[in-house]
Amino acid sequence: MNIAFWIISAVAVLGAVLAVTLRNLVHCVLALILFFIGIAAHYFLLHADFLGTVQILIYVGAVAILILFAIMLTHNVTGTDGPRELLGLKWWSGAAIAAMLAVVLTRAIQGDKLAAALPAGDRAQSSVAEIGKALVGGWVVPLEAIAVLLTAALIGAVVIALEEIRKSR
Amino acid sequence: MNIPLGHYLILAAILFAIGLAGALTRKNAIIVLMGIEVMFNSAILNLVAFWHYKHFAVPTAQLFAMFSIGIAAAESAIGLALVIAVYRHYKSVDVDEMRALKG
Repeated sequence: MNIAFWIISAVAVLGAVLAVTLRNLVHCVLALILFFIGIAAHYFLLHADFLGTVQILIYVGAVAILILFAIMLTHNVTGTDGPRELLGLKWWSGAAIAAMLAVVLTRAIQGDKLAAALPAGDRAQSSVAEIGKALVGGWVVPLEAIAVLLTAALIGAVVIALEEIRKSR
Repeated sequence: MNIPLGHYLILAAILFAIGLAGALTRKNAIIVLMGIEVMFNSAILNLVAFWHYKHFAVPTAQLFAMFSIGIAAAESAIGLALVIAVYRHYKSVDVDEMRALKG
């Protein structure tokens, strides 16, 4: 299983790096899909089967397609894009801030005792049945709340995107 | 599987930093949103890793992660609608050209 962790991690990091560095926006989305699939594979590796499926359905199936539609609606299909200046500094100042954050977080994790913890053990059956029972049991109110949130987001997205058309009528 | 928890935490930290770099260094608002999605995913990966190593018996953390994914989906839908609205107004999605609030 160790080798699986390293391969999936390499795929996820490669996808993330390509998603934020490639010039062609459509290629960026394809790299982002690679990253999402890597994260889903990590969920499967961590025995969170249902969450891995949810990740593929929502991110690869919905969010990536949504981003592709946004690119098609705002740019030429093969729109390209360059780096920007941050607060008057060169573009690499943002990358330097992110690299410093990575170093600080890594040092903090390495200095923590909890980080050396090993898994409690593998179990035979998946946790999908328990999740289903929890969702219609004690977690039914948060589930309904997120349903309302998604409905509000749907209506809000339509209202925001249609604003200019309504004004011009 | 004998990967210690720290490996997952460091992986998530690296992915978070990559997402932050994308959000900070790119001009296109859609790529900035993609960087935010990368950061979201690395945070949720942390949650699931802690669940696997510390509270494997109860599925609570998976529910938390699921709700986080749902909220992230709502966020990206609203964010992309805003990008389209801004594009209608400015005819551009360059974050450097959105300076209507600049004093």
